[in-house]
Amino acid sequence: MPKKILSVDDSRTIRLIVGRALRPYDCVLCEASNGEEGLAVAAREKPDLILLDVTMPVMDGVTMLTKLKEDAELKAIPVIMLTAESGRDNVINIARLGVRDYLVKPFKEDQLLEKIGRSVPLQKKEAAPAAASAPGPVAAAAPTA
Amino acid sequence: MPDGADYKELSRRYGFAPKPESASRLTLLVSRQDSDLEEITKVIDKDPALRKRLLRVANPDAENEAEYAIETVEEALMRNGMGCVLVLAMSTPLAQALTKSFLTMLSLKLENIDRNEAEPLEGEHLLGTIGFSGKVEGRVYLRMNLNSARAIAAGILGMSPGELTDTNEIRDAAGELLNIMTGNFKSNLCDAGLDCRLQTPEVKLSSDFRTPSVPGGGLEHLAFRAGNIQLSVDVTANPWIEN
Repeated sequence: MPKKILSVDDSRTIRLIVGRALRPYDCVLCEASNGEEGLAVAAREKPDLILLDVTMPVMDGVTMLTKLKEDAELKAIPVIMLTAESGRDNVINIARLGVRDYLVKPFKEDQLLEKIGRSVPLQKKEAAPAAASAPGPVAAAAPTA
Repeated sequence: MPDGADYKELSRRYGFAPKPESASRLTLLVSRQDSDLEEITKVIDKDPALRKRLLRVANPDAENEAEYAIETVEEALMRNGMGCVLVLAMSTPLAQALTKSFLTMLSLKLENIDRNEAEPLEGEHLLGTIGFSGKVEGRVYLRMNLNSARAIAAGILGMSPGELTDTNEIRDAAGELLNIMTGNFKSNLCDAGLDCRLQTPEVKLSSDFRTPSVPGGGLEHLAFRAGNIQLSVDVTANPWIEN
């Protein structure tokens, strides 16, 4: 069963980088561009892991994390913060809300994969025939297997 | 729980890179409204790169060091005030974040060059701006020509510049670079008690080269080069704004 990973970031560039890093692995990437969308996708898809930015329009990552932890059905989903903000108060506040890990931007793909791999087991895709080559990350909010 | 110890433990657990010490120290000194000029002078005098940058900031119209009217750190601080020191403290983590972004995301070594060595930007270029407000108020301006913007976006996305036809992707990549730079210096300011909020970044094509300075504040021009890619970053800031 492929692992489902939700990337919540207002930057399409970051979502593309995450998608590229995960492409060789047997997992499904869901995307959201702000906290509000992120909560909706999390409720619908029940991902195995959430990668969450802090500064986003509409609803920021800290608010989304707070709401996620208040939701009995979603609070157990591990969250890795993926943000350029590493200020002391922010980090302490976020850690107290409950996150699995924290990766400061800019990051290397192997650092991201290492942190993801600590939370969900990543398995390489089996070699597929050329005609059915691996799809990239799933665009917008709707995931596909 | 003591927050300092918490943060140390969390930094270790999450594998954070150490923050630039002289910038953190300088920001702390600036954040104290009763800060001692002598103490700030000592910190800057001990760091030749900071000293050089302060004198550059204090002599904005000089073409080279021989033309400097202000020649000592003390004189620069007396004439230009804390806004001047604040931009120095902010620019250090900003420049480091930019350099690190190039190395990690593009595998390119970005050099911080003197503004006068940079090839002047002409005509339409990509301009990214992000404002911040709170106990510090100001704005960061990131400028690059369109070829540099395309090369950067393509590098980040793992494509060749020719493959990249979507201008939105070019803008988004520039916006993310701006976010990473400003997120890093915002952390440094907040750690020193200068809480501020970042506004949403704006990235657009522009032919406007003006960088409005903040009244009573400081302004630093930075320039960077990696091969054919050239970037300019202007930072304006003013401390002691209470919102």
